[in-house]
Amino acid sequence: MRARHIAGAAALIAACAILLGGLGDALAQAPPSAFGGARPPAPTGLVGWIIEQQAAFYRQLSAAVRGVRSGDRTAFATLVGVSFLYGVFHAAGPGHGKAVISSYIVATGETMRRGLVLAALSSLLQAFTAIALVGFLAAVLGATARTMGQVVNWIEIVAYALIVVIGLRLLWSKGRAFAARFASWRSGRPVAGMACDDNCTHLPAAEQVARIRSWREALAVIVSVGLRPCTGAILVLVFALSQGIVHAGIAATFAMAAGTALTVAAIAALASGAKALAVRLASARAGSITLLLSAVEVAAALLVVLFGAALLTGYLAVERMMPF
Amino acid sequence: MPPLRLLALAFAAFLAPGAGIALAHPHVQVETETRITHDASGQVTAVEHIWTFDEMYSTYATQGLDKNGDGQLSREELAELTNVNVEHLGQQRFFTVLKHERRFVSFGAVRDAWSEVKNGKLVLRFTVPVATPFKAAGRPLTVEIYDPDYFVAFVPADGEPMRLVDAPAACKLDYTPPRGGGQSAATLSESFFQALGPNANFGAQFAGRYTVNCQ
Repeated sequence: MRARHIAGAAALIAACAILLGGLGDALAQAPPSAFGGARPPAPTGLVGWIIEQQAAFYRQLSAAVRGVRSGDRTAFATLVGVSFLYGVFHAAGPGHGKAVISSYIVATGETMRRGLVLAALSSLLQAFTAIALVGFLAAVLGATARTMGQVVNWIEIVAYALIVVIGLRLLWSKGRAFAARFASWRSGRPVAGMACDDNCTHLPAAEQVARIRSWREALAVIVSVGLRPCTGAILVLVFALSQGIVHAGIAATFAMAAGTALTVAAIAALASGAKALAVRLASARAGSITLLLSAVEVAAALLVVLFGAALLTGYLAVERMMPF
Repeated sequence: MPPLRLLALAFAAFLAPGAGIALAHPHVQVETETRITHDASGQVTAVEHIWTFDEMYSTYATQGLDKNGDGQLSREELAELTNVNVEHLGQQRFFTVLKHERRFVSFGAVRDAWSEVKNGKLVLRFTVPVATPFKAAGRPLTVEIYDPDYFVAFVPADGEPMRLVDAPAACKLDYTPPRGGGQSAATLSESFFQALGPNANFGAQFAGRYTVNCQ
């Protein structure tokens, strides 16, 4: 069992290495010439490549919507496919969603299944907020881009503040656990109720409370990630609306959400696999490794706080509704 | 492998996906056409931009602006959008980096700014005068158009994306594609930390450079 787990984790790490290395080779693209000489080649580097792919799929979106409008039979499938791929690359690029979810998983040690649920539900919520926002503001009120931008701004403030709150809560509980472990490591005595071996039993009631609290926490994570709709979804919805084919826009939005969910789920699985491996190693050796693991949890909680604070203060901006 | 190193690896694997957070998503593509205008004595006086936004963004940006509901967007109906754009562009130094004699050329106040919708695409035109007209002699003059945060993907328009207007006959225009070529995933961490700072210049690697040589 343990060997299998380590093998699995090694496979995950290897997969990452392959991803990082292999993508580098796939970069050589030769776009058509535009300015006498060669057109700017695609930027290299993994993040650059991901962003370039996303930008490429973004460019195809409007053409796909136009295709649906003109009654092209295959256009609908194209739109859904392009939207899905856009979602995959969008989530792989910069974004707070996967950062918050993976940090949360590392801090709390959530199971892989829970990670997948978090990824799926937050992406789904993102699709719903985009549809609700465009449906209400653009379709019903005829709001301008400026008004929509302001509304998104308010949504961002709520979502990012929620990230800070989640992070602070994690930091509080993980910080206390670390302090207790540190004290026990210094004194050489085990911590009561911290390391849970075969001898320890939980009261059912306490476990239930923990479960409810953890679900409430998970819900907060889903809302904090899913509340701010993806700008690409808003744009495709508004464009589809202007072409009189709202259904195509809604289909594209859900396809994007599916793509986003896939990437975030993969990263969540990676985070949860890495954490499970670390826990396994720690359980085999008591003392300093457990303490280190606890420190990693505190660091992950701190990371959530920092993400939230940086986003909230505008120091870190990932998406913008207005270009300038 | 010692468990400590494995643990560090696992932690690194967790951190890696977060490493992109300081970077942006371009949701707007702008095709740029630029004119460098000269006066009678051959001095560079202004940069004239004609920027065409992508179709999807254009629709988003102009929604709800057709006040009289005639299906057309007049210059007046677009005036507010133009003003907001120009105001924000000023704060961003027009995303235009002009360098001469290794010095940054500073700009004056925008003039002749207006927008129109052409084939479903929003086109923004504006002229930025250089603060002090100068002769582009000696060392070459370089022009780069990019968003350091890469919220906006600036690409040279098809046709003639850069033109010298009334330039001395000796002046020659050249174009260098983006210098992203040498960057590999291994150097990503460096750019990540650079991108964390307020002087992030991530977008520069996506930008080409025009060079004006007047020997």
